[in-house]
Amino acid sequence: MLQVEGLTKQFSNGKGIRDVSFTVNKGEVFGFLGPNGAGKSTTIRHIMGFMRPDRGSVTINGLDAWKGQGQVQRHTGYLPGEISFIDGMTGASFLQFMASMQGVKDTAKREMLIRRLQFDAATPIRKMSKGMKQKVGIVAAFMHSPEVIILDEPSSGLDPLMQKIFTQLVLEEKAAGTTFLMSSHSFQEIERTCDRAAIIKDGSIVAVKNIHELQSMQRKLFEILFETPEDAQRFAASGLIIDSIAGNRVRIAVQGNYNPFTAELAKYPVRSMDIFTQNLEDIFMDYYDREAKVQ
Amino acid sequence: MNLALYKEMMRVNLRGIMNYAGGSAFYILFMIWLYPGLADNTKALNDLVQAMPEGVGKAFGLNNGFSSAEGFISGEYYGLILVLILAIVCVQMSTQLVAKLVDRGSMAYLLATPTTRSKVAFTQAMVLVTSLFIIMAVTTLSGFAGKAWFLGSGYEFGIARFSQLNLVAFLLFFAIGGFCFLVSCACNDEKKALGISGAVTFGFFTLDILGKISDKLDVLRFFTLFSFYRPGEIVQGTAAWAEVSIWLLMIGLACFTIGIQLFRRRDLPL
Ligand SMILES: Nc1ncnc2c1ncn2[C@@H]1O[C@H](COP(=O)(O)OP(=O)(O)OP(=O)(O)O)[C@@H](O)[C@H]1O
Ligand SMILES: [Mg+2]
Repeated sequence: MLQVEGLTKQFSNGKGIRDVSFTVNKGEVFGFLGPNGAGKSTTIRHIMGFMRPDRGSVTINGLDAWKGQGQVQRHTGYLPGEISFIDGMTGASFLQFMASMQGVKDTAKREMLIRRLQFDAATPIRKMSKGMKQKVGIVAAFMHSPEVIILDEPSSGLDPLMQKIFTQLVLEEKAAGTTFLMSSHSFQEIERTCDRAAIIKDGSIVAVKNIHELQSMQRKLFEILFETPEDAQRFAASGLIIDSIAGNRVRIAVQGNYNPFTAELAKYPVRSMDIFTQNLEDIFMDYYDREAKVQ
Repeated sequence: MNLALYKEMMRVNLRGIMNYAGGSAFYILFMIWLYPGLADNTKALNDLVQAMPEGVGKAFGLNNGFSSAEGFISGEYYGLILVLILAIVCVQMSTQLVAKLVDRGSMAYLLATPTTRSKVAFTQAMVLVTSLFIIMAVTTLSGFAGKAWFLGSGYEFGIARFSQLNLVAFLLFFAIGGFCFLVSCACNDEKKALGISGAVTFGFFTLDILGKISDKLDVLRFFTLFSFYRPGEIVQGTAAWAEVSIWLLMIGLACFTIGIQLFRRRDLPL
């Protein structure tokens, strides 16, 4: 459905993307993970035909994204990473305008989406909060029922409740056969919806894996507070991978197999336990390290 | 051309256009209303102009004479005020229609729909041309209305030459608008587009004035589009207005075409 082949683009400041390749199959939800400045939006701009690649190509539904301007867009919906609408419109008038540009007459889906995302479309866009604008953008990307929906950081600005509703919407569309590509810098955000994901770093793809593999590769940090420092010491000496130890507090890294950790921990009284939120590089630290060594 | 986009853009810009058109109409009516009072003192006024340094009179069109209404209006209104109004409209609107949408990112929404870049750019160009046309049409009609109301048949007012004057003024700004549009299509940065097109447009205007003030600076007039536009000569019937019109039309068309092609081919940071 969507093929990115050897996509390369260098900007005048030396930044850019190098040899980015992946394929998204029909009806699949594909995640595109990377830290800030990794090149996610740049790749997506090529997919949307806004930029001409130095090398490589993007094909959607058999059409070249750069040459097929106006054709490709019949099959796609797009949510830009930075939201900005035309001045002097309300949410409703903007969506009405987009629908007429898309050539869509039926308003049923638009109204359903507005209802589900719970916002007042009659508000002037100038007065909308970031989350509200994001919702307007999501409606614009979904309302014409495209075959492929491309979302650049879709859940930025949405509160947890809305993120959940958004996830449901994606899963419903997926069940109806829609293909998705969505970028994010957080693994938690995409693991609920995605089948596969690519990880990009400094303009190059470091991995394209299915979500279960990524989940097992994922490194989690637990912080455990024991009753006594002695317990902490003994637990730390048990052969598990210890990140740090201080008094009766131990930080431990677990990757893939949780059983040795839970079995060992069951031997001690535990006062409290926390999961540490980490950034993408730390979650896939092993993976990034391995890549670095190979190179 | 994309009709949905055209309608939306006209709707968004209509108020601004109508303000400029209304201002222009008011101003030209005011000038025509003034004229009978001045015409009765034509001799005294002409003497006054004679007494001023020659360059100044030329630069501001005072030498077009006060003996006919269109002569007076061509000098006083078409020589300065209208030019400023239309120059501002060209610079502002051309920037808003393309560079601003690219800079702010809203262009992404337009290009994410099944339309081509050429169509989007062409539509935006049409919005600019329509706006200039509306302002000029309102101005011209106000001129005719003013003649009927304030001048009657008692004063000279050459309908044909007044129409030629309006046609050439429209085409001048068609060409200048085309240039501003080209700049807007080439820029990612709204401020840069505004700066360049503003500097060039007002630069053209200044060169023209300097060229008129002093004969020594006459060469400057080869470097400005405004040399095509000689309101005084048009109302006196000494300008090759048809030839000038064709030139301006061609320059405008070329600029719009280049702008659209540039926009079609370049990378957009959306
Ligand atoms: N038009 C451009 N000209 C020059 N450099 C650019 C341009 N667009 C992007 N870059 C640079 O390319 C790199 C990748 O940017 P990109 O916007 O693709 O990152 P991203 O992965 O989307 O990051 P984020 O999570 O912050 O949105 C950045 O370092 C950015 O500064
Ligand atoms: Mg981005």
